[in-house]
Parts: sequence; C-alpha cells; structure tokens
Amino acid sequence: MTENVDTTLAPKRVRPPSNWLSRLFESKQLGWIALALAVAIPFINATPYVLNVLTTAAIFVLLASGLNIVVGYCGLLDLGYIAFMAVGAYTAGIVSKAFELPLLFTVPVVLVMTILAGLIIGAPTLRLRSDYLAIVTLGFGEITRITANNLAITGGPSGIFGIPGILKIGDFDFQQPAVFYFVTVFVVAGMVLAAARLGKSRLGRAWRFVREDEDAAEAMGIHTYKVKLLAYIFGAIWGGIGGVLFAGHFSAVAPQSFIFLQSALVLMAVVLGGMGNTRGVVLGALVISLLPELLRDLAEYRYLAFGILLVIVMVFRPQGFWPARGYEPERVPTGDKEPAVAGGTK
Amino acid sequence: MMQLIWDGLFVGSFYALIALGYSMVYGIIKLLNFAHGDLYMLGAFIAFAVLSSLGGIPASLSIGALLVVLLLSMLLTGTAGVLIERFAYRPLRGAPRLAVLITAVGVSFSLEYGVAALAGPNPKAFPIRLEGEVFNLIGARVSLPQIVLMIIAGLLMIGLNSYIHNTSTGRAMRSIALDRNASLLMGINVNSVIARTFFIGSALAGAAGVMAGAYYGKIDFLMGFIIGLKAFTAAVIGGIGNIKGAMLGGLVLGFVEAFGAQWFGGQWRDVFAFAVLILFLTLRPTGILGERVTERV
Amino acid sequence: MRIKRHSTVLITIAAAVLLTTSGCSGGLLGGGESEGESAGPIKLAMVIPISGSSAPTGKYMENGAQLAINEINEDGGILDGRELELVVGDEACDPQQGVASANKAVSAGAVVSVGGYCSGATLPQLPIFEKAGIPMIIPAANSQDLVNQKLKNVFMINGTGKQQSTAALDFIKKQGFTTVALVDDNTSYSKDINVETAKQIEEDGSATVALSTSVTAGESDYSAVVRDIMNANPELVYWTGYYQEGGLIINQLKKAGFAGQIMVADGSVDPSLSEIAGAGAEGVYATMTQTPDTIEGAEDWIANYEEEFGSAPGPYSTQSYDAVRLAAEAIEQAGSTDGDKIIDALEAIDGFTMFSGPLKFTPEHTLSSGGFVILKIQDGTFVLEDDLS
Repeated sequence: MTENVDTTLAPKRVRPPSNWLSRLFESKQLGWIALALAVAIPFINATPYVLNVLTTAAIFVLLASGLNIVVGYCGLLDLGYIAFMAVGAYTAGIVSKAFELPLLFTVPVVLVMTILAGLIIGAPTLRLRSDYLAIVTLGFGEITRITANNLAITGGPSGIFGIPGILKIGDFDFQQPAVFYFVTVFVVAGMVLAAARLGKSRLGRAWRFVREDEDAAEAMGIHTYKVKLLAYIFGAIWGGIGGVLFAGHFSAVAPQSFIFLQSALVLMAVVLGGMGNTRGVVLGALVISLLPELLRDLAEYRYLAFGILLVIVMVFRPQGFWPARGYEPERVPTGDKEPAVAGGTK
Repeated sequence: MMQLIWDGLFVGSFYALIALGYSMVYGIIKLLNFAHGDLYMLGAFIAFAVLSSLGGIPASLSIGALLVVLLLSMLLTGTAGVLIERFAYRPLRGAPRLAVLITAVGVSFSLEYGVAALAGPNPKAFPIRLEGEVFNLIGARVSLPQIVLMIIAGLLMIGLNSYIHNTSTGRAMRSIALDRNASLLMGINVNSVIARTFFIGSALAGAAGVMAGAYYGKIDFLMGFIIGLKAFTAAVIGGIGNIKGAMLGGLVLGFVEAFGAQWFGGQWRDVFAFAVLILFLTLRPTGILGERVTERV
Repeated sequence: MRIKRHSTVLITIAAAVLLTTSGCSGGLLGGGESEGESAGPIKLAMVIPISGSSAPTGKYMENGAQLAINEINEDGGILDGRELELVVGDEACDPQQGVASANKAVSAGAVVSVGGYCSGATLPQLPIFEKAGIPMIIPAANSQDLVNQKLKNVFMINGTGKQQSTAALDFIKKQGFTTVALVDDNTSYSKDINVETAKQIEEDGSATVALSTSVTAGESDYSAVVRDIMNANPELVYWTGYYQEGGLIINQLKKAGFAGQIMVADGSVDPSLSEIAGAGAEGVYATMTQTPDTIEGAEDWIANYEEEFGSAPGPYSTQSYDAVRLAAEAIEQAGSTDGDKIIDALEAIDGFTMFSGPLKFTPEHTLSSGGFVILKIQDGTFVLEDDLS
C-alpha cells in the first residue's frame, strides 16, 4: 500500500498524474509552495485578527498531523486526542510560570510528560479491540479535562493565565503576534514534514501493515503492541508540542478548551482530508479551522454540517476529500474481519 | 446508606435501559453505536415537541398523558434508529471497524446539532412534571414517581428479555449474533432482523429519554453524550452483547457511582465511572456475565 | 471528476486567502495603524455569548448596549458629532472563541470594549485588549480572577465575586441563618463565589459552613449533592452556579423534602430557573445586582427598551446600557479615542449616574460597593426582597 490509501473501500488508482493541476498537487514542491504562502500572508495583511486566525489554524494543522499518525497511519481511533495537547499546554504553563522560564525551555519537560501520558493511556489499552479503544480514549480525554478542572495546581476552572512568552532575547520578543506566527509556522512545517517522513519510514510501513491486518502483521514478525505504542507516543509528542504553542498563543490555558468537541474536530480534519495522507490532512485541518471564520453567520450549523459530512464521506468516499493516489498495484481486498452478508456488500 | 443504595438503583435503571440498546446492537452486528446516547436525547425532544404542540395538560392527567407520549416517542425514536441504520450503517456493513466508528461519531454529531438547530440550543423545561408523595422506605426517601418510573423500566426490560427468548425474531437475533452467514443460509432475513434490533434498542433509549425529561424536568441537546458513555460503561461491566448483563451493569454502575461520589466528592464522579470502565476493559473485557469468545479472526 | 475536485480545492484556498486578506489594513511592511482615526464612527467592541446556553443573556446585553448607542447617536454623537457603533463578537463561554472574537474586534478598530459575560471566556481576552491599549468596561463577568491580574485597562461595573459574597453574608446574618451549605458548578465564576463566601463566613463567625462542594455542570441527576445536603442539614443552601443546574438542584432538593431555604447567585437569575425548578422555586432567594424590574423609576427606561426591541429587558441589560454610556462619557472627557487617555478619564470619573448609583472606581477598578441586593422568587418571577441598605 502507499502512504495514502486508507481502507479496503478506497478505489485504487494507478494512473500517473495527467494534467497540470494533478501534477501540482502531487508535486514535491507543494509543501514549499504552501510554506511560502503561509509566510507571505502577514506581509499582505497583519491585523491581530488575521494573525490570530492563522496561528490558531497552524496549531490545528499540527494537531491533525499528529492525530494522523495514530488514526491515519496505524488505524487506532483516538477520540480523546486533545488530552495530549492539554497535558502539553498545562505542563508548559505550570512550569514556565513556576520558574519564570520562557516557554521554549519547557519543551523538554513537556516532551517527558506527554510521552508519559502516551504510555499511561496507551499501555493498558492498546491490547483492546479498536472499538473499545475508541471509547477508552474518549474516557481518558474526559478524565484529563475533569482532573484539570478539579485540581488546584492546574488553576481549577479558571485555568492558568498570564503565561510568559515563548522567548525573549534582549529587546526582541518572540511573543509579538507576527513573530509568534512565524515561529508557529516553522515549527508546524517541520513537524508536518517529520510526520510525513515518519509515515514513509520502516516504522511507517509497519504501522500500515498493522492497520490493514494486525494478525498478518503479527505473523510476519512485527511486534504489533510495540508498534502501536510507538504510534501513540509519536501522536502524543505532536499533541504536546501543539500544547506549548497553544499556551504561548493564548497565554492562558483553561479546561474548556479541551472538551470532546475539540478532539472530534481534529478527528474530522483527519478523516475529511484523507486518513494517512499528510497533504490531505493539512488541507482538511485548514478547511475545518478556517471555514467557521469565513462563515461566521452559519456558526450554529457548522457542527451539524460536519456530522453529516462525516457520514457522507465514510459512506461514499472513505478516502477523504483529497483523493489518495496509489502507485502500487491494486491489491485484492483480503476479506474483511467480518464476513459480509447480502445487502451488506453493494 | 439506604439512601445511597436507592439513589444508585434509580440512576442505574436509566443506565440499564440505555445500555440494553447498546448491548443488543453490539451483540448482533458488533457495531458500537456511538449515537445511541443521542437517541435518548431525541426521545426526550420528540416528547417535548408533542407535548408542547398539545398545549397545557391538566396535572391530573399527567401520568396517562405521559404513557401515551411515551409510546409515541418510543415509536418515533425507534423509527429514527431504523433510518440511521439503513442510511448510515448498512452501507458500511463490510467495512473496517474504523470507518463504521467514525460514521457513528458523525451520526452522533448530526443528531445533537440537528436538534440544536431545530429546537434551539437552550435547555428546555419539560412540559409534564411528575410530582408525588415522598415516603420513607427502610431509611431511604423514595418518591412515587421514582417507583412508577422504575416499574416502567422494569416492565420494558422484562418484556425485552422474553421477546428475545420466546419469539422467532428473538431467536433470529440470537442466531445472527452467533453466526451471521449461517443465519442467512438458514433463511433468516438478516437485514430486517437487524433493523428490528435497531428499532427496539432505539425505542428503549427514547423511553429512557422521556422518563428522564418528565422526572428531572430539563432537557437539552447534549444530554445524551455523557449518559451514552455511562451506558456503554454499564454494558461493558455487565458483559457487552449480553442482555441480562446490560441490566446488571446499569445497576452496578449506578451503585459504583453513588459510592464514588460519596467517597471522592461529586466533581470526581465521572472520573470514577470512566476509571471503572478502563479497569474493566483491561482486566475483564468480557464483563461480569460475558463468557462468549468475542474476538473472531 | 478529478480535475473538478482539484479546482474546487484550489478555489476554496483562493477564496480563503482572498477573504482573509480583503478589507486589509496593511501588512507587516505596510504599517499604518487603524487606531486613532479622527473621523467616522467610533467603534465599541462587545464580546458576549451569542451562541451556547448563555445566548439569551447575550441578547439582553446586546440590546441594552444598542439602546444606549441609539440614544447617544440621536443626541448628536460624541467628540463633535461622531457616531458610536457596536462591534459584536461571540464568546460562547469558550475561551478560544473569546480570544478569536477579541482579536477580531481589535482588528475592526474598536477603541473601548464593553463586553464580557462568562468569566472563563473573558479572562484570556484581557491580555489581548491590554496589548492593543484598549480599555475594557466589563458589564457582567465578575470573577475575582479578573481583578487579581491588576491590569490597568480593566474596569468592572458589575459587583465582584467578593462583593457578592459579602452581600450573601449580610443577608445570612440578617436572617440569622447559622448553618450554610455552599454548592458551585466547578466553573471559574461559580467556584470563586463559593470559596469567597466560605472564607467570609468563617472570618465572620456568626454562621458555620456545613458543606462546601462542587457538582459537574451539564448532568441531570444531582442525587449525590442532594444526599450530602440532606446529611449536613443546613438552614440555607447557597447555589453559586448557573440556572440550568440550579433549577435541577432546587427541584431535586425540594423533592427530597429539604425544609431549609435556598439562595442562588446572579448566574442563576434567569426566568428559566423557575421553569426548570417547577413549583419548588417559590421563595428561593438570589444575590443579584439590580435588574430593571427592581429599580425604582426605571419604568420609562423599560418602556423605551420594549418599544425598541419588542421584548422586556433581562439580566445585564442595564449594566450593558451603562457600560456604553460610561464609555461615551470617558471618550468625551478624554477628548480622543486614545486608549491611555480614556483609561485616565475612566479613573477620574466621579459621580457618573448609573443604575447602580453614582460611579467612582476603586483603585482596583471595581465599584466601591457592589450594589448587590436580595431578590426572591414570587409567582415564578424575581422580585426585590431586601436592598441590604
């Protein structure tokens, strides 16, 4: 399978790119073009509003690319992904406030804490079946939020506010909105690239093998438990870094930002964009985070629209909006885990 | 202490009613219907819409009116469940679990925010209120409405149990749960039986929704989310796919929560419930009553 | 198919870029601040809940503010004829949305903020308005955390959590309650009042706190807290959260046969409280700043409001009305729309007439007296019980 193809339902195309548009989208330069565009926007318009929206969108892209490792590459449905961002954001906020450190220096602690969180959530649950896992991760997500709301160290319901900036060298403050935006864009670009590379690595192939057929993967000598745990930990790291950026961007962290809805939105970005396809996921994340800004008046209906879209996409286009292109020969679906019955197969 | 047990029992019977639908659907087609809790919400809102359109109902008639509305709401919620199965789940019946789960999340969102768009996002006061005598029963405060509701819940569960064990459709359901292909070969109309399963499960959740609305007096479009999770927990505790297990699980979870809230404080109640879920899933994923080998390759 | 799909994607991106950049006021290289314009309407930002469960209150606030703006504009505006304009943003009681809307308002060129309802969503807006040098006149949000940050640009014209707790204590002493149970819903605003009231009761010593606990918002069954309250058996239960859970808890307490009195904080003062609580809500007390219904001589104002919007004013209509008038007064005094000058003008204000009485800010930028009164539910509506004077 390629990095892109999601499920057995995905039609697999083996055509080479045929027109300039497709070539553009498949081109290796696309990432650079997108980065250039992201860097260029503030030179056209740098109002606080635009910078805020763009920074938030960039952080959301980071989250989506992290969740893509777990859901897209490895096929583990995580409904509580936002908890990792919460762990990252709270750790960064608490440590930087307690020691009056710039946020940048909290990154090592954040990494340790998020990896720990990934282990704590992953270790007992990854032996579970996929549907149990989904609910358990949802439970962990809620536990994390309620705990943050109840503890004194996390500031209770008000959360933590007045978090120091990300870095200050002399008179140059990286916290200025425009500078912070550029920092965010470069961090996110780096992390997205890393996620894509990870997907193409040996480990990435193992993940997809596990996703497609766990038993076969096990039989072929892949330590599936370890491989899944690694997917979890990588996802956690991405979420944790997202949390640091979140803490820096809003200078405040409150439990309300980590409700289930947020996890669901990140999941939607991954699913709508195209599970496993980094480019699709980035696009999905941009659409999900920017669309409400463009259609403010329809804010009431956006979750309804997202819900219906999820169903439609799953029923008709499980590979997401961004049609994934397979460069490997088509494989005959190897039979589902559940035998299909009449009426079930169309 | 008796109060604690009674409160746990009462809340637990709500969990049990909802857990039944979860468990039936899961037992038969291995589908975790994430939107099940939202059918509970839908049932409450259907009853709300019916009652509001009727206008004022005299308090003396409220129990009778409630029963009529309960049946109507069960019927409509059941139909909604069948439609959801037909258009969202059936096309994916051969698909990987991940795809189906994501669809279920989508259905859940559509129901929640669809109702929010139609009825408005504000909580609604339920038009019928069950008020009644409070009396003391071996050290616990028990009210008449509580007893009425528990009797209704009990009757529904007993009815379901005998339906599954004594009718041909019930036999068909059990047979599909064991082996779907073989059932098909034996001449069972699998699709119609699955549709019927969805109808019953959704109708029960709808009934629970109406009862909650009438008892607590407030409904809102997100009321199904947490209780759906709790019902799933109850189903897992009892042994998912097992009807008696779902009832037992509901009651056990009710107790466990009541005691948890007592020991750790009310704000930790949900944390406690989810922790119990995770413990059960990791240590005894088959639940208290479950003995079936669930993972088939 | 493929081509079409790709073009759709491209168009989406292009549209996104165009829309976000249109109406631009200059990029990083362009410079050119939009503030300090000397012509055109003066914009006031109002970030309030428009969606979510607090949306009805948001509407009351928006209408109240709009009424003041209409009146001022009809009188010829301020600063030699410039009109006022309200820029409304949604916070939905969510910090993230609050931040987004605050940034949007700053970009729209607002010079004073007159919004803020949910404390949790208002807190992260403070640094945004502070950085932009925009004074905030907060009409409703009143968590002590807003004061504790000691920001120069933040002014609160609603009583603070501390002042509300003092009012609660005054009433407890006046009525001679000796045991009190405090229940909050674990939100920033609510917990603040709970903790503060517990502290003041203990310092005062005339009553004891029999129970101080939290519940989770958004549930239906509160039998656990009802049990705790029945065991503690206090003479008064003080619920400091919002009306949805408040209604349920009152109902369940009454069903359980609770014989003591119940009091709620200002977040529960909403017509829906007695709808949800049913008959049990009769006789429930509330700590609240004056509402139009309870203010003497406000009949004309209420009539104007009803004529303008076709519905009766609600909680925080008057505070929002006053916030706009106060902002206009401060801009007029400052003689410009410069943030620092407006802040100085606000600090200098002495005796400005508001619904809550003549205004002079304390050094903390709060009201010297919270203006809290005690309301009581009679026949399903809140009426004035005791003005605590």
